[in-house]
Amino acid sequence: MHLLAGGASKEAWAVDADGERLLVRRAAGGVIHAATLSLEHEFEVLEAAAEAGVRVPKPIAYLGELGGREAFAMERVEGETIGRRIARNPPRGLETQLADELAKIHAIPRERLPFLRGGDILERFYDELDSVGDPHPAIEYGLWWLREHRPQPLPEVVSHGDFRIGNVAVSDRGLEYLLDWEFAHVSDPREDLAWPIVRAWRFGADERRLGGVGELRPYLARYAELTGLEVAEEDLGWWEVLGNVKWAIGCLTQCRRHLTGVDRSVEYAVLGRMAAEMEYELLHLVDGR
Amino acid sequence: MGDRPAAPELVEAVWEFLSTEVLPTLDDHRLKFRTLVAMNALGIARRELESDETDLSQDELRKLAGRIRSGDVPPDAHSILTAHVAAKLRVSNPAYLEKYE
Repeated sequence: MHLLAGGASKEAWAVDADGERLLVRRAAGGVIHAATLSLEHEFEVLEAAAEAGVRVPKPIAYLGELGGREAFAMERVEGETIGRRIARNPPRGLETQLADELAKIHAIPRERLPFLRGGDILERFYDELDSVGDPHPAIEYGLWWLREHRPQPLPEVVSHGDFRIGNVAVSDRGLEYLLDWEFAHVSDPREDLAWPIVRAWRFGADERRLGGVGELRPYLARYAELTGLEVAEEDLGWWEVLGNVKWAIGCLTQCRRHLTGVDRSVEYAVLGRMAAEMEYELLHLVDGR
Repeated sequence: MGDRPAAPELVEAVWEFLSTEVLPTLDDHRLKFRTLVAMNALGIARRELESDETDLSQDELRKLAGRIRSGDVPPDAHSILTAHVAAKLRVSNPAYLEKYE
Protein backbone atom coordinates (compact mmCIF):
# COMPACT_ATOMS: atom_id res chain seq x y z
CA MET A 1 0.00 0.00 0.00
CA HIS A 2 1.43 3.40 -0.88
CA LEU A 3 0.41 7.02 -1.21
CA LEU A 4 0.00 8.14 -4.84
CA ALA A 5 -0.89 11.75 -4.24
CA GLY A 6 -1.72 13.93 -1.31
CA GLY A 7 -3.18 17.37 -1.04
CA ALA A 8 -5.14 19.72 1.15
CA SER A 9 -8.44 17.92 0.76
CA LYS A 10 -7.81 14.40 -0.63
CA GLU A 11 -5.31 11.59 -0.48
CA ALA A 12 -5.06 8.74 -3.01
CA TRP A 13 -3.69 5.36 -1.90
CA ALA A 14 -2.82 2.41 -4.09
CA VAL A 15 -4.01 -0.76 -2.35
CA ASP A 16 -3.88 -4.35 -3.60
CA ALA A 17 -6.49 -6.59 -1.97
CA ASP A 18 -7.61 -10.12 -2.99
CA GLY A 19 -5.92 -9.71 -6.35
CA GLU A 20 -7.78 -6.48 -7.06
CA ARG A 21 -5.96 -3.26 -7.80
CA LEU A 22 -7.72 -0.57 -5.82
CA LEU A 23 -7.43 3.13 -5.35
CA VAL A 24 -8.57 4.43 -1.98
CA ARG A 25 -9.53 8.07 -1.87
CA ARG A 26 -9.45 9.50 1.63
CA ALA A 27 -10.16 12.97 3.02
CA ALA A 28 -7.08 14.86 4.22
CA GLY A 29 -6.94 17.37 7.01
CA GLY A 30 -7.27 20.58 5.04
CA VAL A 31 -10.23 22.83 4.52
CA ILE A 32 -12.47 21.52 1.78
CA HIS A 33 -13.64 23.90 -0.90
CA ALA A 34 -17.28 24.90 -0.40
CA ALA A 35 -18.28 23.48 -3.78
CA THR A 36 -16.55 20.13 -3.22
CA LEU A 37 -18.60 17.01 -2.53
CA SER A 38 -18.07 14.87 0.55
CA LEU A 39 -16.46 11.54 -0.26
CA GLU A 40 -19.73 9.78 0.48
CA HIS A 41 -21.51 11.90 -2.11
CA GLU A 42 -18.64 11.65 -4.58
CA PHE A 43 -18.92 7.87 -4.32
CA GLU A 44 -22.66 8.05 -5.01
CA VAL A 45 -22.01 10.19 -8.08
CA LEU A 46 -19.45 7.65 -9.28
CA GLU A 47 -22.03 4.86 -8.81
CA ALA A 48 -24.70 6.81 -10.68
CA ALA A 49 -22.24 7.50 -13.51
CA ALA A 50 -21.29 3.82 -13.69
CA GLU A 51 -24.99 2.83 -13.82
CA ALA A 52 -25.49 5.33 -16.65
CA GLY A 53 -22.73 3.63 -18.62
CA VAL A 54 -20.20 6.44 -18.26
CA ARG A 55 -16.61 5.22 -18.54
CA VAL A 56 -15.49 5.52 -14.93
CA PRO A 57 -13.28 3.40 -12.68
CA LYS A 58 -15.52 0.77 -11.08
CA PRO A 59 -16.78 2.03 -7.72
CA ILE A 60 -16.07 -0.64 -5.06
CA ALA A 61 -17.28 0.59 -1.68
CA TYR A 62 -17.77 3.60 0.52
CA LEU A 63 -15.66 2.80 3.55
CA GLY A 64 -16.98 5.27 6.09
CA GLU A 65 -14.33 6.65 8.41
CA LEU A 66 -10.84 5.27 8.08
CA GLY A 67 -8.65 6.53 10.89
CA GLY A 68 -11.07 9.37 11.54
CA ARG A 69 -11.44 10.47 7.91
CA GLU A 70 -13.96 9.26 5.35
CA ALA A 71 -12.79 7.23 2.38
CA PHE A 72 -13.98 5.13 -0.55
CA ALA A 73 -12.43 2.48 -2.77
CA MET A 74 -12.59 2.27 -6.54
CA GLU A 75 -10.83 0.36 -9.29
CA ARG A 76 -7.27 1.59 -9.92
CA VAL A 77 -6.99 2.25 -13.65
CA GLU A 78 -4.21 2.82 -16.15
CA GLY A 79 -4.00 5.50 -18.77
CA GLU A 80 -2.39 8.81 -19.61
CA THR A 81 -3.80 11.73 -17.63
CA ILE A 82 -1.10 14.41 -18.13
CA GLY A 83 -2.72 17.12 -20.26
CA ARG A 84 0.44 18.24 -22.02
CA ARG A 85 1.26 14.70 -23.17
CA ILE A 86 -2.30 14.06 -24.38
CA ALA A 87 -2.37 17.35 -26.32
CA ARG A 88 0.99 16.53 -27.94
CA ASN A 89 -0.34 13.30 -29.41
CA PRO A 90 -4.13 13.07 -29.09
CA PRO A 91 -5.69 9.70 -29.96
CA ARG A 92 -8.01 9.73 -32.95
CA GLY A 93 -11.69 10.13 -32.18
CA LEU A 94 -11.26 11.75 -28.79
CA GLU A 95 -13.58 14.66 -29.72
CA THR A 96 -16.61 12.44 -30.27
CA GLN A 97 -15.71 10.17 -27.35
CA LEU A 98 -15.75 13.20 -25.04
CA ALA A 99 -19.22 14.07 -26.38
CA ASP A 100 -20.37 10.46 -25.83
CA GLU A 101 -19.45 10.58 -22.15
CA LEU A 102 -20.85 14.06 -21.58
CA ALA A 103 -24.18 13.10 -23.15
CA LYS A 104 -24.43 10.10 -20.78
CA ILE A 105 -23.63 12.26 -17.74
CA HIS A 106 -26.18 14.89 -18.72
CA ALA A 107 -28.83 12.17 -19.08
CA ILE A 108 -28.49 11.02 -15.43
CA PRO A 109 -31.83 11.86 -13.75
CA ARG A 110 -31.42 14.70 -11.27
CA GLU A 111 -33.50 12.87 -8.68
CA ARG A 112 -30.91 10.08 -8.67
CA LEU A 113 -28.51 12.55 -6.98
CA PRO A 114 -30.75 14.88 -4.96
CA PHE A 115 -27.85 16.29 -2.92
CA LEU A 116 -26.18 17.95 -5.91
CA ARG A 117 -26.23 21.70 -5.62
CA GLY A 118 -27.09 24.29 -8.23
CA GLY A 119 -27.73 27.94 -7.64
CA ASP A 120 -26.52 31.12 -9.28
CA ILE A 121 -22.98 30.59 -10.47
CA LEU A 122 -22.04 34.28 -10.71
CA GLU A 123 -23.07 34.84 -7.08
CA ARG A 124 -20.83 31.95 -6.07
CA PHE A 125 -17.92 33.45 -8.01
CA TYR A 126 -18.40 36.81 -6.26
CA ASP A 127 -18.31 35.06 -2.87
CA GLU A 128 -15.13 33.22 -3.79
CA LEU A 129 -13.48 36.34 -5.21
CA ASP A 130 -14.31 38.26 -2.03
CA SER A 131 -12.71 35.50 0.04
CA VAL A 132 -9.40 36.26 -1.73
CA GLY A 133 -9.17 39.76 -0.34
CA ASP A 134 -6.94 41.54 -2.88
CA PRO A 135 -8.62 43.56 -5.66
CA HIS A 136 -8.83 42.00 -9.13
CA PRO A 137 -10.53 44.51 -11.44
CA ALA A 138 -9.95 42.41 -14.57
CA ILE A 139 -11.94 39.54 -13.04
CA GLU A 140 -14.57 42.07 -11.92
CA TYR A 141 -14.73 43.23 -15.53
CA GLY A 142 -15.30 39.65 -16.69
CA LEU A 143 -18.05 39.16 -14.10
CA TRP A 144 -19.67 42.46 -15.08
CA TRP A 145 -19.62 41.45 -18.76
CA LEU A 146 -21.17 38.09 -17.87
CA ARG A 147 -23.93 39.83 -15.89
CA GLU A 148 -24.66 42.13 -18.85
CA HIS A 149 -24.77 39.35 -21.44
CA ARG A 150 -26.48 36.44 -19.69
CA PRO A 151 -27.92 33.98 -22.22
CA GLN A 152 -31.36 32.39 -21.91
CA PRO A 153 -30.81 29.49 -19.50
CA LEU A 154 -31.27 25.89 -20.59
CA PRO A 155 -32.83 23.30 -18.25
CA GLU A 156 -30.25 22.21 -15.66
CA VAL A 157 -28.64 18.79 -15.85
CA VAL A 158 -26.31 16.67 -13.73
CA SER A 159 -22.90 18.13 -14.47
CA HIS A 160 -19.41 16.68 -13.99
CA GLY A 161 -18.11 20.08 -12.93
CA ASP A 162 -14.49 19.63 -14.07
CA PHE A 163 -14.91 18.06 -17.49
CA ARG A 164 -11.63 18.63 -19.37
CA ILE A 165 -8.38 17.09 -20.57
CA GLY A 166 -6.36 16.41 -17.43
CA ASN A 167 -9.33 14.68 -15.80
CA VAL A 168 -9.58 11.89 -18.37
CA ALA A 169 -7.39 8.84 -18.77
CA VAL A 170 -6.63 8.01 -22.40
CA SER A 171 -4.79 5.26 -24.28
CA ASP A 172 -4.08 4.66 -27.98
CA ARG A 173 -7.68 3.48 -28.24
CA GLY A 174 -8.93 6.85 -27.04
CA LEU A 175 -10.83 7.85 -23.94
CA GLU A 176 -10.70 5.17 -21.25
CA TYR A 177 -11.95 6.78 -18.04
CA LEU A 178 -13.46 9.97 -16.76
CA LEU A 179 -11.98 10.92 -13.37
CA ASP A 180 -12.28 13.50 -10.59
CA TRP A 181 -15.97 13.83 -9.79
CA GLU A 182 -15.66 15.96 -6.66
CA PHE A 183 -17.06 19.10 -8.33
CA ALA A 184 -20.25 17.45 -9.64
CA HIS A 185 -23.30 19.72 -9.40
CA VAL A 186 -26.33 20.67 -11.47
CA SER A 187 -25.97 23.35 -14.11
CA ASP A 188 -26.77 24.55 -17.58
CA PRO A 189 -25.30 21.84 -19.87
CA ARG A 190 -23.19 24.44 -21.69
CA GLU A 191 -21.05 24.92 -18.57
CA ASP A 192 -19.56 21.43 -18.97
CA LEU A 193 -19.55 21.68 -22.78
CA ALA A 194 -17.43 24.84 -22.78
CA TRP A 195 -15.04 24.08 -19.90
CA PRO A 196 -12.57 22.04 -22.00
CA ILE A 197 -12.27 24.82 -24.60
CA VAL A 198 -10.81 27.30 -22.09
CA ARG A 199 -7.29 28.11 -23.33
CA ALA A 200 -5.61 26.93 -20.12
CA TRP A 201 -7.03 23.44 -20.77
CA ARG A 202 -5.62 23.29 -24.30
CA PHE A 203 -2.21 22.60 -22.76
CA GLY A 204 -0.22 24.61 -25.28
CA ALA A 205 -1.96 23.18 -28.38
CA ASP A 206 -3.96 26.41 -28.71
CA GLU A 207 -4.97 25.87 -32.33
CA ARG A 208 -7.07 22.83 -31.38
CA ARG A 209 -9.98 24.55 -29.69
CA LEU A 210 -11.29 21.49 -27.90
CA GLY A 211 -8.87 20.82 -25.08
CA GLY A 212 -5.85 20.92 -27.38
CA VAL A 213 -7.03 17.58 -28.80
CA GLY A 214 -9.54 18.37 -31.55
CA GLU A 215 -12.13 20.54 -33.20
CA LEU A 216 -15.39 21.76 -31.75
CA ARG A 217 -17.61 20.83 -34.69
CA PRO A 218 -17.53 17.00 -34.37
CA TYR A 219 -17.81 17.32 -30.59
CA LEU A 220 -20.90 19.52 -30.71
CA ALA A 221 -22.43 17.53 -33.57
CA ARG A 222 -22.08 14.27 -31.66
CA TYR A 223 -23.47 15.84 -28.49
CA ALA A 224 -26.50 17.12 -30.46
CA GLU A 225 -27.01 13.71 -32.05
CA LEU A 226 -27.14 12.02 -28.65
CA THR A 227 -29.02 14.61 -26.60
CA GLY A 228 -31.12 16.44 -29.18
CA LEU A 229 -29.61 19.68 -27.92
CA GLU A 230 -28.11 21.76 -30.73
CA VAL A 231 -25.42 24.06 -29.39
CA ALA A 232 -23.58 26.25 -31.91
CA GLU A 233 -19.94 27.24 -31.43
CA GLU A 234 -20.91 30.86 -30.87
CA ASP A 235 -23.35 29.79 -28.10
CA LEU A 236 -20.33 28.72 -26.09
CA GLY A 237 -18.72 32.20 -26.14
CA TRP A 238 -20.36 33.35 -22.91
CA TRP A 239 -19.44 30.09 -21.22
CA GLU A 240 -15.85 30.32 -22.38
CA VAL A 241 -15.57 33.73 -20.68
CA LEU A 242 -17.22 32.19 -17.62
CA GLY A 243 -14.67 29.36 -17.67
CA ASN A 244 -11.78 31.82 -17.70
CA VAL A 245 -13.31 33.75 -14.79
CA LYS A 246 -13.81 30.47 -12.93
CA TRP A 247 -10.22 29.31 -13.38
CA ALA A 248 -8.77 32.76 -12.61
CA ILE A 249 -10.65 32.73 -9.29
CA GLY A 250 -9.70 29.07 -8.79
CA CYS A 251 -5.99 29.96 -9.08
CA LEU A 252 -6.38 32.74 -6.53
CA THR A 253 -8.29 30.63 -4.00
CA GLN A 254 -5.87 27.70 -4.34
CA CYS A 255 -2.95 30.08 -3.82
CA ARG A 256 -4.60 31.20 -0.57
CA ARG A 257 -4.28 27.62 0.71
CA HIS A 258 -0.54 28.22 0.63
CA LEU A 259 -0.61 31.81 1.88
CA THR A 260 -2.88 31.04 4.84
CA GLY A 261 -0.78 28.01 5.81
CA VAL A 262 -3.58 25.47 5.25
CA ASP A 263 -1.42 23.63 2.74
CA ARG A 264 2.05 25.03 2.08
CA SER A 265 3.16 24.17 -1.45
CA VAL A 266 5.15 25.90 -4.18
CA GLU A 267 2.59 24.67 -6.72
CA TYR A 268 -0.27 26.46 -4.96
CA ALA A 269 1.95 29.51 -4.45
CA VAL A 270 2.67 30.09 -8.16
CA LEU A 271 -1.01 29.68 -9.09
CA GLY A 272 -1.50 33.13 -7.58
CA ARG A 273 0.61 34.54 -10.43
CA MET A 274 -1.04 32.38 -13.09
CA ALA A 275 -4.46 34.01 -12.67
CA ALA A 276 -3.22 36.90 -14.88
CA GLU A 277 -3.19 34.52 -17.88
CA MET A 278 -6.93 33.92 -17.59
CA GLU A 279 -7.50 37.64 -16.95
CA TYR A 280 -5.74 38.47 -20.21
CA GLU A 281 -7.66 35.80 -22.11
CA LEU A 282 -11.04 36.96 -20.80
CA LEU A 283 -10.26 40.58 -21.72
CA HIS A 284 -9.27 39.34 -25.18
CA LEU A 285 -12.49 37.31 -25.51
CA VAL A 286 -14.85 40.15 -24.53
CA ASP A 287 -13.01 42.80 -26.58
CA GLY A 288 -15.56 44.56 -28.77
CA ARG A 289 -18.41 42.27 -27.76
CA MET B 1 22.18 48.19 -1.04
CA GLY B 2 24.77 45.64 0.12
CA ASP B 3 27.43 43.50 -1.44
CA ARG B 4 27.00 41.56 -4.62
CA PRO B 5 25.40 39.30 -5.59
CA ALA B 6 22.34 41.51 -5.59
CA ALA B 7 18.93 39.95 -4.94
CA PRO B 8 18.21 39.11 -8.61
CA GLU B 9 21.66 37.55 -8.95
CA LEU B 10 21.09 35.40 -5.85
CA VAL B 11 17.77 34.23 -7.22
CA GLU B 12 19.44 33.43 -10.53
CA ALA B 13 22.16 31.45 -8.74
CA VAL B 14 19.57 29.28 -7.00
CA TRP B 15 17.75 28.80 -10.32
CA GLU B 16 20.98 27.62 -11.96
CA PHE B 17 21.72 25.26 -9.07
CA LEU B 18 18.28 23.64 -9.40
CA SER B 19 18.58 23.48 -13.17
CA THR B 20 22.08 22.03 -13.50
CA GLU B 21 22.65 20.08 -10.27
CA VAL B 22 19.25 19.03 -8.86
CA LEU B 23 16.96 18.51 -11.83
CA PRO B 24 19.19 16.02 -13.73
CA THR B 25 19.38 13.75 -10.66
CA LEU B 26 15.61 13.39 -10.24
CA ASP B 27 13.74 10.29 -11.42
CA ASP B 28 10.43 10.78 -9.67
CA HIS B 29 8.23 12.66 -12.14
CA ARG B 30 6.27 14.35 -9.40
CA LEU B 31 9.44 15.72 -7.82
CA LYS B 32 10.72 16.78 -11.24
CA PHE B 33 7.52 18.66 -11.91
CA ARG B 34 7.66 20.43 -8.56
CA THR B 35 11.27 21.41 -9.16
CA LEU B 36 10.30 22.96 -12.49
CA VAL B 37 7.49 24.81 -10.72
CA ALA B 38 10.00 26.07 -8.14
CA MET B 39 12.33 27.27 -10.92
CA ASN B 40 9.40 29.04 -12.53
CA ALA B 41 8.69 30.77 -9.20
CA LEU B 42 12.32 31.94 -9.04
CA GLY B 43 12.05 33.28 -12.58
CA ILE B 44 9.01 35.35 -11.58
CA ALA B 45 10.83 36.67 -8.52
CA ARG B 46 13.90 37.62 -10.58
CA ARG B 47 11.84 39.46 -13.21
CA GLU B 48 9.92 41.31 -10.51
CA LEU B 49 13.12 42.37 -8.76
CA GLU B 50 14.56 43.64 -12.06
CA SER B 51 11.39 45.30 -13.30
CA ASP B 52 11.14 49.09 -13.36
CA GLU B 53 7.57 49.12 -14.65
CA THR B 54 4.99 51.29 -12.98
CA ASP B 55 1.58 49.69 -12.70
CA LEU B 56 -1.64 50.71 -10.95
CA SER B 57 -1.31 50.92 -7.15
CA GLN B 58 -3.28 48.61 -4.85
CA ASP B 59 -5.44 51.61 -3.99
CA GLU B 60 -6.19 52.36 -7.65
CA LEU B 61 -6.94 48.69 -8.28
CA ARG B 62 -9.33 48.60 -5.33
CA LYS B 63 -11.17 51.71 -6.54
CA LEU B 64 -11.48 50.38 -10.10
CA ALA B 65 -12.66 46.98 -8.84
CA GLY B 66 -15.30 48.67 -6.68
CA ARG B 67 -16.58 50.83 -9.54
CA ILE B 68 -16.89 47.85 -11.88
CA ARG B 69 -18.66 45.80 -9.20
CA SER B 70 -21.24 48.58 -8.76
CA GLY B 71 -21.84 48.70 -12.51
CA ASP B 72 -20.18 52.12 -12.93
CA VAL B 73 -17.62 50.89 -15.48
CA PRO B 74 -15.25 53.61 -16.77
CA PRO B 75 -15.38 53.83 -20.59
CA ASP B 76 -11.64 53.14 -20.86
CA ALA B 77 -11.72 50.25 -18.35
CA HIS B 78 -10.96 47.61 -20.95
CA SER B 79 -7.78 49.28 -22.23
CA ILE B 80 -6.60 50.21 -18.72
CA LEU B 81 -7.08 46.61 -17.58
CA THR B 82 -5.43 45.12 -20.67
CA ALA B 83 -2.33 47.26 -19.99
CA HIS B 84 -2.39 46.36 -16.29
CA VAL B 85 -2.68 42.62 -16.89
CA ALA B 86 0.00 42.75 -19.63
CA ALA B 87 2.34 44.39 -17.10
CA LYS B 88 1.65 41.55 -14.64
CA LEU B 89 2.32 38.98 -17.36
CA ARG B 90 5.65 40.54 -18.36
CA VAL B 91 6.69 39.51 -14.84
CA SER B 92 4.80 36.25 -14.36
CA ASN B 93 4.96 34.74 -17.87
CA PRO B 94 6.32 36.92 -20.71
CA ALA B 95 6.07 34.05 -23.22
CA TYR B 96 2.30 33.91 -22.67
CA LEU B 97 1.85 37.36 -24.25
CA GLU B 98 3.38 36.10 -27.51
CA LYS B 99 0.26 33.97 -28.08
CA TYR B 100 -1.67 37.19 -28.74
CA GLU B 101 0.78 38.85 -31.14
